[in-house]
Amino acid sequence: MTRRRFLKQLSVLASAGVFFKTSFAKAAYKVKQFTQRYLRPPGALKEDDFISRCIRCNQCAEICPNNCIKFFGSENGIASQGTPYISPREKACILCMKCGDVCPTGAIKPVKRELKPIVQEVNMGIARVDRQLCLSWQGKSCGVCYRACPLADTALKVGFMEQPEVLDACVGCGLCENSCIQIPQAIKIIPRHTIAALGK
Amino acid sequence: MNEPLNSINAKPFFLWKHLNKLRWLTLSVVFLMLILIPLLSIYQHYVAAQGYNHLSPSETLLYDSMEFISAPFVDDAEHDLDAIKGTTWSGQLFGVKLTDPLAVIGQVSAGFEVYWPFALTALLPVIATVIFGRFFCGWICPATFLYELNSNASVWLNKFGLKSGSRRFNRKFKYLVLAVGIGLSAFTGTVLFASVYPPAVLGRELYFSIALSGFGSGTLFFVLTLLFDSLVSKRGFCRYLCPGGALYSLLGRYRVFRIKRLVEQCNDCSKCNAVCEFGLNPMQDDFGGECNSCSACIAVCPKDAMTFTLAIADSKNQGPGHQSRTYRKNEKHPKSPTAKDPCINIQNID
Repeated sequence: MTRRRFLKQLSVLASAGVFFKTSFAKAAYKVKQFTQRYLRPPGALKEDDFISRCIRCNQCAEICPNNCIKFFGSENGIASQGTPYISPREKACILCMKCGDVCPTGAIKPVKRELKPIVQEVNMGIARVDRQLCLSWQGKSCGVCYRACPLADTALKVGFMEQPEVLDACVGCGLCENSCIQIPQAIKIIPRHTIAALGK
Repeated sequence: MNEPLNSINAKPFFLWKHLNKLRWLTLSVVFLMLILIPLLSIYQHYVAAQGYNHLSPSETLLYDSMEFISAPFVDDAEHDLDAIKGTTWSGQLFGVKLTDPLAVIGQVSAGFEVYWPFALTALLPVIATVIFGRFFCGWICPATFLYELNSNASVWLNKFGLKSGSRRFNRKFKYLVLAVGIGLSAFTGTVLFASVYPPAVLGRELYFSIALSGFGSGTLFFVLTLLFDSLVSKRGFCRYLCPGGALYSLLGRYRVFRIKRLVEQCNDCSKCNAVCEFGLNPMQDDFGGECNSCSACIAVCPKDAMTFTLAIADSKNQGPGHQSRTYRKNEKHPKSPTAKDPCINIQNID
């Protein structure tokens, strides 16, 4: 009788462990990097490091003069609850680099507000043009994204009929996506963590 | 011969009695700052956007009032106001970055690395805690402000016949919460304390509600702790659950500046025990690491038997005060005070 009870308890424990390891709890906890499209503030560390560094003090949003930094609830997994993000179509980053200065933990690195350090250190994502949607590529000269780009000609160049082409130096601030006059937007930022996850 | 008489007549430094008022002032100022800083940051956004003419009437009111408040201190509101940011969890006060030690502990356990520029921001609070003990809990913590108001409200409700909870648990339980929190932070790789530590939650929620869209999920947590305090156990969260309180108690265990009972003056009225928010036993010299130096017991003591002292340990139980020389009326003792002593007179009235 005692052996049967012991085995019963053991099997319950084991199944609970397996359950926790495999499915539900992990799924609820795991960052859903593919379903949510968001950017981390400029100068942020890689996604996992960022989450372990960030202490959820909100100072980046308090200091952001553009008011573009928002915070996750539980919609992106419990791990990233309370962490800052930028949704570029709603409000994009103007690369003022104040958040890096105020961040106490170094989750957002301090970056000088000059062209070279920004291009080297900041990696929020990279813009991608959908040529089927883009007005310029469809023969109606537009060029709004080029005019919005804070790193014009370094990150984004325009050719014939102001057809935009993204260069490697793009830091992914999202001002092009924010300003795109097409609905839905023809230029989109692919977040850095999505690129990293797809590259694996 | 004169020595015991001197010790009987020794009064605590007169300011100690009024420290509790100063403490309430500090708590209110900190709480007001937590409301003011988000408002100032909104004002900063408006200034940065140069959008005064596009504001709605209520926003104009905010702009004008914040301009009125900050104008004497800043020349360029857009940049100068950056000097005051953040909450008690982590903030920037006139260019000095200060962080709660619990944030550093949580981050180190989450990332398995020490980022020194961040760890050093907690140095000042840690030093202050080593000297003054768990003073953060009593003097600064914005959650304490609401928790104490809550326990005061419970007293009023008790008068109207609504009983509040007064269960007691093991005070050591919060150390378990701290240990489990560190373990879970290491396991999950996130700073979990940020969502269960009331001052951090409260600072964040105040910011969310004022400057962003509205209250987040932390408000629910905070309301639950308030309900726990009023329905289950008085100041229960601070006493038995708070991981930050546990850390501060550990750090302030050998604090230099602590409250002491003057047994010669004590008449064992136990008002200090009743008033102690953390459920300690000042009347029997039991403060331990838990005392947050709130000085409520000093303020309430009718005999001036409580004072601050410099010592790294509590004195061992000095026994009941009413048996001390001051209160022995029938005993002829060469060291006993004369009948002129006011204490004796009061005792005689009884």
